[in-house]
Amino acid sequence: MSTEENLHDLAEYVIKYGTSLGADQVEAYTIFGSVKSIQIERGSIRSFTDTSNSGLGIRVIKDNAIGMASTTIFTEESLEKTIKDAYALAEISPPDPNFKSLPYDPKTAPTISGRFDEAIVDISVEEFTDLILDSIQIATVRDDAIISGNFNVGIGERYILNSEGVDRFASQTSVSGYLGVKIQDGEDIGNAYYYDAATQMKNFDHIKIGTEAGLRAQKMLGSQKIETASLPILLDPDSTYGTISPILSSGINAFSVFNKTAFFVDKIGDAIASSKLTITDDPFIPEGTDSAGFDDEGVVPKKLTLVENGILQTYITDSYTAPLVGLENTGHASRSSFASRPQPAPYTMKINAGSVSKDDLLADMKEGIYLMSSSIHSRGDNPQVSAQINQGFYVKDGELQYPVKNAVMGCTIFEIFEKIDNMSKETENRSGHEAPWMLLSPLRVSGGK
Amino acid sequence: MLDILEKVINKVSLSSKDFLDIRYAYAMGESFTVRNGRFDSVSNQTTGGIAIRALIDNAWGFTTIVKTDKESILQAVEKVVRMARAGSKYTKQERSIGDSWVFEGKGATTIEIDPRAVDKEVKFEKVVKTEKAAREHSDSIAESSSTYQESHGKEIVINSKGTKVENETHVIRLMKNVIGREGTKMQSVFDSVGGAGGWELIEKWDPEEEGLKAAVMAEKLLIAKEPPSGKMNVIMDPSLTGVFIHEAFGHACEADAIIAKTSVLEGRIGEKVGIEEINVYDDPTVKGLRGSFAYDSEGTKARKRVLVEGGILKEYFHTLETATALGMEPNGSGRAMNFNVTPQARMGNTYVDGGDMKIEEIAEIAKDGVYLKDSYGGYVMPAKGQFYFSCQMGYFIENGEITDMMGNVGMSGMTLEVLQNTFAIGKPWEPAFEGTCGKGGQWVPVTGGGPNLAVSNLVVGGTE
Repeated sequence: MSTEENLHDLAEYVIKYGTSLGADQVEAYTIFGSVKSIQIERGSIRSFTDTSNSGLGIRVIKDNAIGMASTTIFTEESLEKTIKDAYALAEISPPDPNFKSLPYDPKTAPTISGRFDEAIVDISVEEFTDLILDSIQIATVRDDAIISGNFNVGIGERYILNSEGVDRFASQTSVSGYLGVKIQDGEDIGNAYYYDAATQMKNFDHIKIGTEAGLRAQKMLGSQKIETASLPILLDPDSTYGTISPILSSGINAFSVFNKTAFFVDKIGDAIASSKLTITDDPFIPEGTDSAGFDDEGVVPKKLTLVENGILQTYITDSYTAPLVGLENTGHASRSSFASRPQPAPYTMKINAGSVSKDDLLADMKEGIYLMSSSIHSRGDNPQVSAQINQGFYVKDGELQYPVKNAVMGCTIFEIFEKIDNMSKETENRSGHEAPWMLLSPLRVSGGK
Repeated sequence: MLDILEKVINKVSLSSKDFLDIRYAYAMGESFTVRNGRFDSVSNQTTGGIAIRALIDNAWGFTTIVKTDKESILQAVEKVVRMARAGSKYTKQERSIGDSWVFEGKGATTIEIDPRAVDKEVKFEKVVKTEKAAREHSDSIAESSSTYQESHGKEIVINSKGTKVENETHVIRLMKNVIGREGTKMQSVFDSVGGAGGWELIEKWDPEEEGLKAAVMAEKLLIAKEPPSGKMNVIMDPSLTGVFIHEAFGHACEADAIIAKTSVLEGRIGEKVGIEEINVYDDPTVKGLRGSFAYDSEGTKARKRVLVEGGILKEYFHTLETATALGMEPNGSGRAMNFNVTPQARMGNTYVDGGDMKIEEIAEIAKDGVYLKDSYGGYVMPAKGQFYFSCQMGYFIENGEITDMMGNVGMSGMTLEVLQNTFAIGKPWEPAFEGTCGKGGQWVPVTGGGPNLAVSNLVVGGTE
């Protein structure tokens, strides 16, 4: 069987063969991805890359024990071996008393508009290269600017089938790119980068990539060490999303909640943050880079309010964890690769705006730090934050003074949530992630001065 | 497979300045995790395919295929040559691969006990007992987990300059992770054993002892003091010295960043970058370590790299391309995670050479500061020369004495300052940091190490 051309047939074959071996339940997760990449080095093209990847991940359940196997090789021999491996592992693994069943969801998955763009499929290498050269030219803010980066266009397909009747297919396109710019005056280095990602070519802002990367590199010149102090922190929208999203992902993931390692165990209905914080998770945003009509087990997800005025509303679950935490399956199963077992993860969080202008937030800051495209979060299994300031500025009397180097913020994720002092009324959408500017009351900042 | 690749490469006509390589890579792995008394994943993974790379008129083309027949490979070669040729009109730099570096041979990780022949039940027992010993120690252990991983890879590399190399790698690892929790306070303890080799590397792991050790430490850390904040003297244990030298210095020595002009160490070969007593090496030929291999993914024979000797910067990590561009010798640093990606300049086993001081003597010199232990990860921005790394725990140093325990904390430093700010080097060196290093989306096994090492003026990001 040469199956690489038809992943649905391949998945069906896996279900049938696995069942025939004696499995109680079988799941086949197959992906196909085709990516064209262009790498930039020292301001010009270094390489063209064109790769296609296929992968198959199998879950087999036998007497409540789970075996998994995966492969990228789709010959008949390899497929049979992979299915037999998964079955054999299920046979020898101890049963998991917490496992109930692979899911079945009869609901029709909603179609999310704008997830597939023929313009991305059809773009020629020459057209894509011209766009990148434009971006590089704009980023060249000085003749001696060192510019590096990478741009990609891709198509992805995903099939999920299981023996309980799940049969899902989705495809999507993507375009992404980043540029890093380095400029140097003697020992003084200005270094910054900017990226963008979209599912539609029309939403991909290659001009802004060049503009922002160049401007930010210039702004990063003249960095200085600061004294150790407790200072308020103002985060730009990219930093707000980059801080809040990973903390909440780890904090309300039902797998970690069940294991008592989530930050917000037993906190539904309780205040976990300042009342300024309201967050929704929306799987269905049109043209969203993280949107999906079904999760990585084939279940149709729900749009959820996660935090309302600082009060935790729910956890995110999948088929395995929902019964363990006594909630319904919210359809948040996510796999880090075709080979991995799913765990709950959010789609696209939306962090609500406040009522103050971003300019006023900065103007009112007597002394503090302004963070740009950074994040202050911890590892998912430890609330202790010790985060280096990568792109941050020292603020005095409402004005950015100079970039900060060699400084680390120390706090806990609980403090970050409690110390949300204000949100700006303006929000910014970066690669589908919308967030406001966010002001945190003073946190400990260790400086190198 | 080598026969097929040879037939293909012999059919391709290139100018002497151009370059083509074909790499067949196949890998299979096995892993399982036990968490809080339950198996939460038991899996086998197989990946395989062929990577084809061409450098034509100064531009690279790269593609991959999973079919391994001669016709499919030939078609892919033609495609990649077309891609590179199309790209050449856009490039402004000169790129080439030297003619003189041709390698032929076979290499393999030495295995005494092949883990594929070890019964699954025996493997299960190691993780089950490790996890259980930690979990049952105390109610404050919120989560205990233990993971077993083995992987077996084969690469065949052939290129248009004449290189023909076959290489096998075998890596094994057993890990434990324990999370202690009291209310909102959480502390985790991680440790692992293994390396490039077979079951013999983990056979001596005593699951009960190791599990208990982690649980006891997690419990102690829950009542440990909060770490301090500010610029101070830091003494690092061998594990932390390993991640420190990896992040602070190793990445900045990767020559792909040097030729891209995105490393602060560009153009500094021969310059003083540290105190005279400091020596930094990377050696992928040390038997049994995670970052050990015989040939890299470009077919270059691996050898020891002298990065810093007597405080002077001596060498970078080279691929064939970077060595050619800088007029230096390739040193077997071109590593690729799998068939689907291109080789990058990477580290293997990076370490600071040992000195002659005992920890008590170092603490006495430091007088005040912190003694930090056990890596918790890190990263670096080589273009800016700023790095970050963190530890799992540590102790205060007060009036030359090692005193109270503290929890995990992160640190920031500047690449061009830290080796100059080193003020004491302990003995002996140990390859204590077993890690997986990420760069450009690729993850490869590495080891880091060194002795106890003392550095002044590191910025410690605690809360007190």
